[in-house]
Amino acid sequence: MKYAGLVLANLGRNKLRTALTGGAIMLAVLLVCVLLTMPAGLDAFLNNIASNTRISVHNKAGLVYAMPYAFTRKVRQIDGVAAACAFVWFGGAFEEAGRVTFPNFAVEADQVGAVYPDYDVPAQQLADFQRYRDGAIVGRATMRRYGWKIGDRITLRSTVWPVNLDFRIVGEIPNDRSPLLWMNRDYLDEALKAQGRPAGLGIAGIVWVRAADPERVNAIMRTVDDLSRNSDSETASETEKSFFSNFFGSLKGFIAIILLVTGLVALCIVFIAANTASMGVRERAGELAILKAIGFGRRLVFATLLAEATVLSSVAGLAGVVSTIGITKVLHVFAGWNASLGPLGAFIVTSSVIVEGIFLSLFVGMLAGVVPAFGAARKPVVATLHEVF
Amino acid sequence: MGLPLSYSLRNVGARRGRTLMTAGVVALVVVACSLFLGLISSLKRTLVSTGDARNIVVMRKGSDNDGSSQLTLEAYQAIRFFDGIARDAQDQPLASPELVVQPFFRTREGGRENVLVRGVEPVALAVHDNVRIVEGRMLTPSSGEAIVGRGVVGRYAGASLGDDLEFGRARWHVVGIFDADGSSFESEVWVDVRELANDAKRPFPYSGVRIRVARPEQLEPLIRRIDADPRFALEAERETEYYAKQSESANTLYVLVVGIAVLAGIGAGFGAANTMYAAVQARTAEIGTLRALGFSRGAILTSFQVEALAVAAIGFVLGALCSLALSACLRRLLGGIGFGAATFTVNVITLRVSAADLLFALLLALVIGTAGGFGPAWRAARLRPIEALRKA
Repeated sequence: MKYAGLVLANLGRNKLRTALTGGAIMLAVLLVCVLLTMPAGLDAFLNNIASNTRISVHNKAGLVYAMPYAFTRKVRQIDGVAAACAFVWFGGAFEEAGRVTFPNFAVEADQVGAVYPDYDVPAQQLADFQRYRDGAIVGRATMRRYGWKIGDRITLRSTVWPVNLDFRIVGEIPNDRSPLLWMNRDYLDEALKAQGRPAGLGIAGIVWVRAADPERVNAIMRTVDDLSRNSDSETASETEKSFFSNFFGSLKGFIAIILLVTGLVALCIVFIAANTASMGVRERAGELAILKAIGFGRRLVFATLLAEATVLSSVAGLAGVVSTIGITKVLHVFAGWNASLGPLGAFIVTSSVIVEGIFLSLFVGMLAGVVPAFGAARKPVVATLHEVF
Repeated sequence: MGLPLSYSLRNVGARRGRTLMTAGVVALVVVACSLFLGLISSLKRTLVSTGDARNIVVMRKGSDNDGSSQLTLEAYQAIRFFDGIARDAQDQPLASPELVVQPFFRTREGGRENVLVRGVEPVALAVHDNVRIVEGRMLTPSSGEAIVGRGVVGRYAGASLGDDLEFGRARWHVVGIFDADGSSFESEVWVDVRELANDAKRPFPYSGVRIRVARPEQLEPLIRRIDADPRFALEAERETEYYAKQSESANTLYVLVVGIAVLAGIGAGFGAANTMYAAVQARTAEIGTLRALGFSRGAILTSFQVEALAVAAIGFVLGALCSLALSACLRRLLGGIGFGAATFTVNVITLRVSAADLLFALLLALVIGTAGGFGPAWRAARLRPIEALRKA
């Protein structure tokens, strides 16, 4: 510790260089962290949002191959099922946006709360959702994005069904990241009947099921698929986690590229830091020789030089990590929900991203400092002094 | 009088290690930025090149893509005889009724992806004339046959010539492979439209109609006429516009990537400035001498600026070569890169770093060189000859 002064004084010797290097490392760590938030968003989604008791039941052939709505009732009667709710994609576009800017589904108003207790929608709001046919429950991310509040009325134009529907917002999913909108299935059903489709909605796209006990999830999935076997719409059940990792599976190639670019930027930091460390050592060659001549050991010289590089890069890295948090806040506002990015576009700074950022800068500082510091420590005193004077 | 160019260039070579280090940083930024841009521009290129300027897309009013539109048989029968539609040798209108469904496909690795399956009639090949069968033959209607786009081949189980593809409620025999000038049709599977409607149990036989117009000036009147027809509530638009809209989601990504590139560029600029400051410091005496010899401040400023630009240029060349090599490797390693499309299906993108992407990277490298070199060059130019010489 008593050499801390020496290390700091050396860092302050060429303030401009220290600042430039620090700035470069900060920016690079910032980039690495921002890039890492993309795959981390997917992981966080799969680990936090997906529950281990929820099951997705959908047609084996694909999500657009619907199931008869009546199947929902059969699923609900299976032993061990706590609740089941039919979802239908509404594909509503908010008029001002002109396209689908958040996922919205028609759901069974009396069931959805029981399937998603972990979403913590207040009981009163769920009751209102059942009471008002035109009610809608909206995720907080979408509420904020459009400045909506409970009680507001909005119109969505469906891109899938030939209807435009007016809604009143009766509740909020209190999760900053949730873009969802739920509407009442009966409301859409009636609108379709009024449009001259006597059959009404009649289908379920996905039936989300909550098992009473995680132990029974597998048994329930088997029972559901057995129930539908040899029918017109055979089902494939899977856990929520497996559903979403399949759903976003096609992003793998894109993630590989993100990670590659991240690696390149990280390598950049090594170069920048190493360059600075070698400049510092070269300029101070004489001074280092004198230090050694008056009795500073090799190890000590090595340690102070290494400490210098490490302190610089970790302080800069820390600044980078902090600015990541700021910049992702900005990204949240402007990126919104993006169908082709899914949770990659959520830019969630998880604690693992922060830890990775800090470790990266620490590690890089040491790596960058080691070669020049080792060279300086090993060089014979006489040779150096000879060179300098 | 200016300093000779060789003075700057030889100085670049004087401290090889440091030059390489700085050029390396620039090179890495160039690689990162051109790879990223290449990915996004490949995505855009794929989508934009899918539309044909002579075609129009007819869908149900209000739906924004093939996958969510519905169209009745009557509507198709009525519009195919509208004026302005091109006709083939047998005098049949070039109006292709199509049904789009997005079933699950098993990937070779055991994953699952939604693939755009397009039900077509033989006329589709005349309307989409960039689609060419390159292996095998066109499918025969009502015989359970499919043709697959080049991007699909090898990505999914059974997606190769002569194999059986399993999707929907049936098995489909692959009889042909088509290519479509790199457009997103290559990520599709085509089957007989009636068979697909039966398989998917669709209440409506089609999702839309693609029409080839006879003459360009008939395009707008035809669109207006379809839009105005009160019987079917349909909407028509240019095929090029339709796909341009699909590529809009790539725009957000584009902004993001440019932002990342600029940040990385600033960082690299800091690194370059460091190297150049050190160079100025090391050559203080030399600069003093040059000034004493009568070289102007402008000459010294220019000379250092050129030196910084030369380092950036070396970095660019290294980076451009690396990124071309890397993208070729990735193409081979990953095959196509899957991207979600507005239809919730996978668009298989072939990663290609284009000249435009490299041009952007070059500009970035030059800006890094200019901005990183200016401060040090300015300092060098401002050195007072006497003090500089004395310091030495």
